[in-house]
Formats: sequence, C-alpha cells, structure tokens
Amino acid sequence: MVAPRALSEFIAEANEILEALGRELLALEESGLEQADPDRLNAVFRAAHSLKGLSAMFGLESISRLAHHAEDLLDALRLGKAPLDQALLDLLGQVVDMLQEMLGEASRGEDSTELKERSEMLAGELQQLASGGGQDTADVLDQVGIDPQVRAVFTEYEEHRLRENVKKGVGLWKVRAVFSLEDFDTRLATLNASLKPLGEVISTLPSSQPGDDSSIAFDLIFGSSKEKAELEGRLLEGATLAPLTDKMFSTPPPPPPQRKKAPLWDDKSISGPALSPLASFTSTPSGLSRLATTPEPSLRSLTNTVRVDIGRLDGLMNSIGELLLIRSNIEKLSDAARQASGPALPKLWGQELQREVRALERRLDELQKGVLDVRMVPLGQVFDKLARLMRRLVRESSKDVVFDVSGGDVELDKLIVEELSDPLMHLLRNALDHGVERPEARTRQGKPPRATIGLVAKQQGNHVIIEVRDDGAGIDEARVREVAVDRGLVTREQTEEMERRELLNLVFQPGFSTRRDVSELSGRGVGLDVVKTNLQRLSGLIDISSRRGEGTTFTLTLPLTLAIIRALMVKVSGRTYAIPLNAVLEIVAVKDEQLRTIEKREVIEVRGQTTPFIRLARVFGLPEEKRPVHSVVLVGLAQQRLGLAVDELLGQQDIVTKPLSGRLRGIPGVSGATELGDRRAVLVLDIGALMEELLRTQVAAS
Amino acid sequence: MSQFAELLDRFFYRPDEAVGSFLEQAPISDRIAEALPDETPEEFLAFVLEGETYAVPIGAVREILKVTDVTEIPRARKNIIGLINVRGEMLPLFDVKVRLRLAEVPPVVLTGKDVGRAARILLLKDLEGDAGVLVDRVEGVVKLQLSRLEEAPGLGIDRNAIAGLGHRDGQLFILLDVEQALS
Repeated sequence: MVAPRALSEFIAEANEILEALGRELLALEESGLEQADPDRLNAVFRAAHSLKGLSAMFGLESISRLAHHAEDLLDALRLGKAPLDQALLDLLGQVVDMLQEMLGEASRGEDSTELKERSEMLAGELQQLASGGGQDTADVLDQVGIDPQVRAVFTEYEEHRLRENVKKGVGLWKVRAVFSLEDFDTRLATLNASLKPLGEVISTLPSSQPGDDSSIAFDLIFGSSKEKAELEGRLLEGATLAPLTDKMFSTPPPPPPQRKKAPLWDDKSISGPALSPLASFTSTPSGLSRLATTPEPSLRSLTNTVRVDIGRLDGLMNSIGELLLIRSNIEKLSDAARQASGPALPKLWGQELQREVRALERRLDELQKGVLDVRMVPLGQVFDKLARLMRRLVRESSKDVVFDVSGGDVELDKLIVEELSDPLMHLLRNALDHGVERPEARTRQGKPPRATIGLVAKQQGNHVIIEVRDDGAGIDEARVREVAVDRGLVTREQTEEMERRELLNLVFQPGFSTRRDVSELSGRGVGLDVVKTNLQRLSGLIDISSRRGEGTTFTLTLPLTLAIIRALMVKVSGRTYAIPLNAVLEIVAVKDEQLRTIEKREVIEVRGQTTPFIRLARVFGLPEEKRPVHSVVLVGLAQQRLGLAVDELLGQQDIVTKPLSGRLRGIPGVSGATELGDRRAVLVLDIGALMEELLRTQVAAS
Repeated sequence: MSQFAELLDRFFYRPDEAVGSFLEQAPISDRIAEALPDETPEEFLAFVLEGETYAVPIGAVREILKVTDVTEIPRARKNIIGLINVRGEMLPLFDVKVRLRLAEVPPVVLTGKDVGRAARILLLKDLEGDAGVLVDRVEGVVKLQLSRLEEAPGLGIDRNAIAGLGHRDGQLFILLDVEQALS
C-alpha cells in the first residue's frame, strides 16, 4: 500500500482541492447562474480533474471514480452541453461533501461499503445529468463566416466559448503578438492579463508566420464589446489587433487600416500585413499548440499556499525564545563589562557587545513577526466549509434561510482557526435548529418568511470578534430560569437577583439544554458549555444577547494569536506570575480601610462600580503579608470584572506561552508557563477560568 | 569582577552529567552470577531515595539534570513539586517519596540550594509527556537479568509503584514502575 507519509500528503492536498472546489461552487451560486463566469467553471472542472488523477495515483478508486463522473458533468457544463441550474449545483455540492467523507475514510484507512453505495448512486445521477443535456441545433458559428479550416483547429471548448461570445453579440478580434523567445512566456501572460478585463481570450494559437529565429508569434482569438480604439490603447508593444472575420454582426467596427506597431527589439518579425488570412491557421505547428489560456489540466496543486506543519513552527518559536534569552544574557554581560573598572579594553568590548545586542534585537523582532505571520490564516478557510455545511443543513430542514457570511478575510492564528470550526458549527446548527422559525410562523409574526443566519468576523485591535446571529425567535429567559432552577444549577432566589444578561448566560452552564428532545441537527450530545470551554481554551470569550422575537447573537472574542502575548508581571508572596494584558482593565491602589464586605465577601469600589476583591495569595494558598495599601489588578472579560490583589507590579513584557504537558493539564487558573531572562519558569494565569471559578464560588457562597 | 564572572559562568552552557559516562563503568559490575547463555542483561539506572536503592530501565531516562530553579504550582497535585524549565520546555518535577512511603510530605524545593549537593533530577520519558523525578543521588548503571527479577513481597509496601526486585553483588535494587509512581 501507500506509505503513510505519502498518503497524508495526498489527504492534505486533496483536502485543499476540495476546499477550493467548494469555494468555487459557492461563488458560482452567488454570482448567479445565468452569468456563470467561464473561468470559474473551468476552475471547478480542473479541481475535479486534479482530484481524479491524484486519487487514482494513490489507488483510491472509489474517489477517483466519483471525481471522474463529476469531471464529465463539469466538462459538459463548460461546453454548454448541460444547463447550469440549481439542481445541478446542489448535486455538485453533495458530491463535494461525499468526496470529503470518502477522503476522511481513506485517511483513517477505512473502506465502508455503505459509503461506496452512496457514492455509486451519486455517480449515477451525475452520469444522467451529463448525458441528458441537448445541444443547440442551429450553430451560430455557421453564420459568422469563420473559415471552416480555422474552426477545425479550435477545441470543442474554444468553439463553445466562441459561440457564447457570438451569442452575446460582441466583436471578435484576432490579436497578433510577436515576442522574443527569451521572454515570450511572461510577455504573453502580461498580454493576457491586460486583455482579460476587456473581454475574453478564447484561444491562443501559435501564428503561422513565426517571425525569425529569435522571436515567436501568437494569434489570440479575443472577444470583446469594446471599440477598436480602446482595445488598441491597451495593447502591449508588439501586439496588433484585427477583426477575426469581416462579416461582423450588429455593429461591425470599421475595417482596420493596414498599420502595425513595430516591436522595438526586432522590426523584421512582422513582415506581412497584420490582418492575416484566416486560412493560415491550418498550418499550425503542432509542437507549439495551446499555450497559457487553454485549460490544460495538471496535477499541480491548485493553491499557492505552503502547508507548514505546526510542529515545525513551534520549533521555530522555541528557538526564538532561546534567542531572546541569549539576547538578555549578552546584554547583562555587556552591562557588567562596561561598568567594570580597570583597563579600557573591557569597556570597548562592552560597547561592541551593546551594538551587537541592538542588531540581534532587530533581527529577533523580524523573525518573531515573520513566524507569527506564517501562523496567520484567513478565517475563510473555516467559513467556506461552514457555508457548505449550512447549505446542506438548510436544504434538509423545513426552513427557509439565507446564510450570510462576511469577514472571511480576517486572519487569525492557525491554531485558533482550526479549533474554531467545531464551536462555530455548533452555534450555527443551534441557530438553524432552535433559533429561526418556520416560514409559516414567521409570516404570522409579520416577519419576512425567509430567515437570516449571519456569520460575521471583524478585527478590533488585538482581537477578532466573530458573531453568529439569527433573526429568529430569541431566547425565552423565563424558560431559561425555569430550566436552570429545575436542574439545580441555581436557586430561584438567585435568579431573581440576576440581570437578564446573567440569566441568558446560564445556557453556558454544563447540564443545560432548553430542548427536551434532542434534534437530529444540533443533538450531538454537546451543549453550549462545551462551546464555552472550547473557547476558553483559546483564551476566547463568548457572550450572548437576545431579544424576544428579534433574534439571538452570540459574540465570540478571540485573541489574534496565542503564541506571543503581552503580559503584566506581578509578584505574590515572592512568586512571579504573568497576567495576560488583554484581560487587564486597569491597575488601582486600594487602601486597606477602603475595603468593604458584602456578606463577608470583600469588595472594592472602582469608579462607582462595586467589584469583588480577591487576594491572589489567598486563592493560591500562599502566605499573606499584611499591608496598608493593596495593588489591585482590575481584570475583566465581557461584562464581568474582578479586582485581584497582588503584592508587587513588575511591569509589562512580551511572553511566549508554553502549554503545560500532559500530567500538568487541568490545573485551575493556570493556562501555561513562560520563561523570563533567568530561566525560571513563570506561570501564566488563566484569567477567564479564575474569574469563572471565583465568581461562581461567590454566588454559591452567598 | 566577581559579578561578571558569575554572569559568564551562567551564560556558558555546561552539560549536566551525561548518562554515557555511567555506561562505561557498567560492564565491571558482576562476574559471579552466571547469565543464561542467551540472555543479555538489561541496563538500569540506579539511584538512591532515603537510603534505598531504586532503578529504572536506562531507556526510560532522557537525561539527568542538576537541580535548578523550580516554580511551585499552586493547587497542583501533592506529588508535583513544581515546574522546571528544561531548555525552554516546561516539565513537571515529581516527588515519589510520598508515594513510596519514604516520606510523610513532599519536599519544598525552590532552588538548587534546597536539596543536597548530590540530588539530581531524572528526566524520564513518558507517554503523557516527559517528567522529572527528584532523587537524592544517582548511583550509576547496573546490569540486571530480567529472568532473575523477583516480585516485590507484600510487606505493606505499595506494590503498585514497584515493578520488581533485582539483585547484584548482594545489593538490592528496587525497580520503579514509572507510570504508577507518577500517577
């Protein structure tokens, strides 16, 4: 069988292809079916083709077969033999999902007959659609008057595109371009790029008049609705424009004057008139046929992205940490050398060292930034998958829902993006299943029958905000209260003191679910509490807001990266701890006599707001010192705030948080460790978890 | 200049005792007990805890470290002394004496000064992530024949943490079950 490494490479690549496929299909649907962009269709076709070849190479026959049938259908589609409609797009969507499933099986080394049967059925449907489409009987190309010998050189696809252009009534042109052999590939690409916005390059053919030994000539068949003058203005040096046929339709442009633009580097290359007889196409030298624009399917990767193993990045990150340590050590050395009394030599050496330190620091900054950038990926990677999933779920549900996605270009740390897909999927399923109502119910309430579920991402400073919102019925807080009391999560008295927001946040408690029966959509055995813990692991937050009858919005706040964070270093009974700065609101000094107690709990007043006051030393069971003034770090997440009393503030620092290994996982209030200059490990506090814990015990105790 | 010298001293990397040096001493250890002709004795690293000699398979030892700064972890399990920084890796340092009933309470260790001069950290390879174990002294490498190991007697000893007993030159080696000892 295939070596595991090769297989995992294949899975990764095939996955990328499928992602691209899904994305293109979605774009096709969004751009409207009538005006389908031929490039897009081609991209989809190529993706299916690549997948076919790739999977066949790895002996995954069932994937290859399904991809093959999809390719056939897509081929018929791009040749105009099959009409592009919603049913067909749905079917293709199913194919992508199926392929993903099969790929999943392949990666686990499984091979279930059930999946095989379903894929065979899909393949059958594909086949039917591919052969079912009819073709136009009267060929418009016959009326245009292109030399049949010229037509013979076109591929079926090119002929189809030519026909489409004729139908649109645009002008057909032949662009003759002569380029030197040395750089014809780049110049041809530039020419293509400059023509693209003006119309469609239907075919690129080597010209029958090849010029001399040092140059090569092409004929580009080009369809455009623009006037000749405008087109000529855009042409590159070395390219000339002529109508493809003299029998033009609708508004034929005036016959071009017999002029040419001589190429700068070689004026011998264009000897004849620019308007070449079309019959000359037949003598195409075969070896040079079809360049650039022809969709030559290849097995090359469809994306320009480089896959980087996250483990390698972590390694890089570690070495940066080491470098940082060296830097601070060298700095100390140089300081010591400069201050040392005695001969001048060490002093000079110290200055020298200092300069090196600066340089090292600059490089380190660059390196750090570079590595961080590599880790960043667009959220679109997850959003696209979710969009496809939602399409399927909506189709299977009895609800009419528009799924509205924006902000897919917002970038986040790869680690976070990967971990986000499950929580987001859960929230979206929830919105579809519990959030939005059926069309009838919506109409009765005077709402538009079609519901909207939105997934929006935006960057705010060092954070990314992701919202999952629906315009459904909203959350019934009376019912939330009832259930929470029923399940013993809170007492009735407690709920009476709770604000609406706090009540709503009860849905994140473990063991909470307002639905008695588990639906097939959201009922996967995970509740919102899992979503919340998942987010907390990513140092993220989730908040909920809801209005009865108007809808519900879940707001996720996430840090841009987990790798390097800025932290406030504090000292508590001689121990140093790091508090992530994103959780720190402000630092206040509180005199002992300013402390108040509410039911034996200490509180302080900050800007008129009563805030719980927690002594970190007491929480951690460390010896406390009596002091007249407390340094209080006011931390806050979402609407909750907490004053943490520490002994000493040491200042801010960029830290690389390292996770704690297996046996240390799950220590309350600690999210990881970092090292400072002296090699001692310093614990990084998990403010989210600490607040959760401390505020909960307060509620429970009160 | 003494401050400078100290900084220099800390700056330069000095490898801790490598396991390799023990390996060279190993073959001299026993010539009396006849080995089964086809059995190659396994190598174990022997160390001392409260005067008793323990051993773990040499393959399970990643390295031996001197005791440096240890960071306490508030509210961690009792047998975790703290967190050590091994060239950027954050690893737990375990106490096994309480588990083996050699001590009542785990020691408090914050720096190398809190332990004896001979004390070392054995960095053990473990499926759940590598972990350090604090020992009083490292003895060296000993070769023991697996077929001649005996089971630990049930003398009120917590036998779960002990994989067996080995003898060599009249000395007793208690084989530690690392997985159990750290749980």
